[in-house]
Amino acid sequence: MRPQSVGWLFLAPTLLILAVFGVLPFIYVLVVSFFDWNSFAADPTMRFSGVQNYRDLVFDTGFLMSLWNTLKFGVFAVASEIVLGYFLAQLFMRNFPLKGFFRTIHTLPLMIAPVAVGATWRLMTVPGLGPIPYYLDRWFGYDYLISRYAGQAFLTTVVMDVWHWTPLVTLTLLAALSSMPKEPFEQAQIDGANKLQTFWYVTLPLLKPAILSAVFIRLMDAMRTVDEVWMLTGGGPAAATRYVGLYIWRVVFPKTDYGYGSAMSLITLYLTIVLCWLLYAGLVARRDLRKPE
Amino acid sequence: MSGLKRMLLGAAVAGLMVGAGPARADFWSDAAKGLEGTTIHGVSESTPPSNYVKDVLAPAFTKATGIKVEFEATSWDQMYDKAIKDMEANTGIYDFVYIEQDIVYSYLSRNFLVDITQSLADKPNLKAPDFDPAMFTTFVNYFKGDKGDIFGVPMEAFIKVYLYRKDLFDDAKAKDAFKAKYGYDLAVAKTHQQYKDNADFFTAWGKENNLELWGSTVQAHTGHPASWYEFFESIAPTFGVYNWGIDASKNYAASVANGGTMNSPESKKALEFWLSLLPDAPPESTASTWDEVAATFAAGRAAQGMVYGENAAWIATNDTKSKVVGKVGVALPPLEPGVLEAAESGKGYIGYYDGGAFGIPHSSKNKDASLLFLEYIAQPSVQADWAVAGSRITHQATYDDPKVVAQDAKTDGYYTLMKNDGRLFAGAPPYPFHAQVREATAPMFYQAITGELSASDALDQMAAAAEKELTKLGYRK
Repeated sequence: MRPQSVGWLFLAPTLLILAVFGVLPFIYVLVVSFFDWNSFAADPTMRFSGVQNYRDLVFDTGFLMSLWNTLKFGVFAVASEIVLGYFLAQLFMRNFPLKGFFRTIHTLPLMIAPVAVGATWRLMTVPGLGPIPYYLDRWFGYDYLISRYAGQAFLTTVVMDVWHWTPLVTLTLLAALSSMPKEPFEQAQIDGANKLQTFWYVTLPLLKPAILSAVFIRLMDAMRTVDEVWMLTGGGPAAATRYVGLYIWRVVFPKTDYGYGSAMSLITLYLTIVLCWLLYAGLVARRDLRKPE
Repeated sequence: MSGLKRMLLGAAVAGLMVGAGPARADFWSDAAKGLEGTTIHGVSESTPPSNYVKDVLAPAFTKATGIKVEFEATSWDQMYDKAIKDMEANTGIYDFVYIEQDIVYSYLSRNFLVDITQSLADKPNLKAPDFDPAMFTTFVNYFKGDKGDIFGVPMEAFIKVYLYRKDLFDDAKAKDAFKAKYGYDLAVAKTHQQYKDNADFFTAWGKENNLELWGSTVQAHTGHPASWYEFFESIAPTFGVYNWGIDASKNYAASVANGGTMNSPESKKALEFWLSLLPDAPPESTASTWDEVAATFAAGRAAQGMVYGENAAWIATNDTKSKVVGKVGVALPPLEPGVLEAAESGKGYIGYYDGGAFGIPHSSKNKDASLLFLEYIAQPSVQADWAVAGSRITHQATYDDPKVVAQDAKTDGYYTLMKNDGRLFAGAPPYPFHAQVREATAPMFYQAITGELSASDALDQMAAAAEKELTKLGYRK
């Protein structure tokens, strides 16, 4: 057998899985997005509607609002996770009593299923009964009511996401910090760089690949968040936390509007890819372009 | 006839009866011959009646027939999600599914369900001797097709009632304080203004006496359809707005301009009334679905409220789960003038008659075994214990069972109320576009709860959205 054939043979299982669970469903969704199809319509059959579903999306204020809210959620959550994750990683680089214990505790949220995270936060924040609203009211007289006030609900979903996913960023950055060469830091010290300069000109550039990986992974995750938020707020109050994943779920499942939901899914996928590409172009490619030939 | 002959005849009759007894008792094992070891899968909403099926009836059925039952009792959303996807894709995961009264029209329009009447006629060996559709209450009519055949075996039926705290309404100090403040006697509300006064009073009473007590429950989740349902099923009808304000005879009109009533003055008044109760409701109300409302009342946090009847029994009698055992009263909901008369004459209704049945999907791979299971749970002999456990009644005769009569006394006559006045309540309108219209209009409804939209603006927008959705679905021409 030629070496090239052996290579394809080894790749075959992965390619098969990718085709069955990735490519084929994608093609199916693409096809369905050009049809008007609701199984509880007067005519429940698929009727070709061209680009009507895509045209409707442009005027769907609910969808556009959910996209905007998702973007805000992603930016706030990921930025907070990166900053917090960096400081925690730096903390775990140092030695202190019970470091191993705290590192284990800190990683525990990662092992909890998103639905369980949502349920836990719901129990903690349920108006009138949960410990968070109870003590905020008792100690500070603060009316914390996430089922009524949009801003509080939004902020709570961000905090919940940060609580759940910051350990992933911490571990990523901790691995990167642990594997950094000592020489550039020694060189910076010899050159008289202060702590801020060392961070800006040495640490940050060396950490950049790890930070970017974390940002891309977390941003893509944030764009498709459903289960945690569904458990916590159900997308409410009103549309305050109805992020795009939840919006699509409502259109496709309870509403059974398969064509429209498919178009939404594809547009969301496209926007996520564009967002990541813009981020990549802005943070990586631009600097690469400036590199001398 | 001589004495000896009489004795001999009596002995013969007794012998025949004794001989016939085991044959009848063995129907289940006889009918299940060849099906032993089969496993049937079912899905339902996790409610007290469903949990009774899961914990009691399913194991008993397995013991009687050798047919195993795997029964998922899950959340309302998940139950629909799983059942509909299974039936649409024809995968045959589920052999019986829960059909809530309001979804049956959607299922029938898609021909998802097996005709039970026809199936039993085709296979008389599967027909249980005591299975008789005439024994059900009229609730079974919701599960009949055009020809009168049954497509679902009713397993729960109850009304959404007005529950109130008898101890609070009978409290002498509270009575005096109420009369001093409002100028009339504290009593169970007959009108909406009286209900509102009661709610205001008990909220203030709770504050003054440092109690965790509010004036009313409100099922007002701001991101779950439960709030939408409370309004359209339980509040709007008490103001004379029926069928969600959509008139099928007028080209499925929802707006007043086109002949509907979704944004009629009565509807707007109803929503304003319901929203006015929010300050009198416990803080968890805007995060409450049907389950949480029952829990709120059981925790003693509300003086009155509209609660699904499936919870009435445990709230009133189960002291391991409820703090208000022995303190619960039941009544008909408060009404606008003329609504009761309209209901009595069959032109309207005063509230929601909820419930559901188990049906067999066409996609089921074990239809015979499932048919036996549905007949098993429909036996008259299992109804009373089930009614006591889940405050549900689907057989007319169950009302008179001594166990139910005893439970009735403990629940301040809930079963009597259901028996006598159940006819004034109604299920959801026979529309096959149930979830579609709900999802199209719910966002504006939630905005009304949060105060982003006024009641009037919300209903105007909802009526327009409903008509747009119905046009898209092809019902409105």
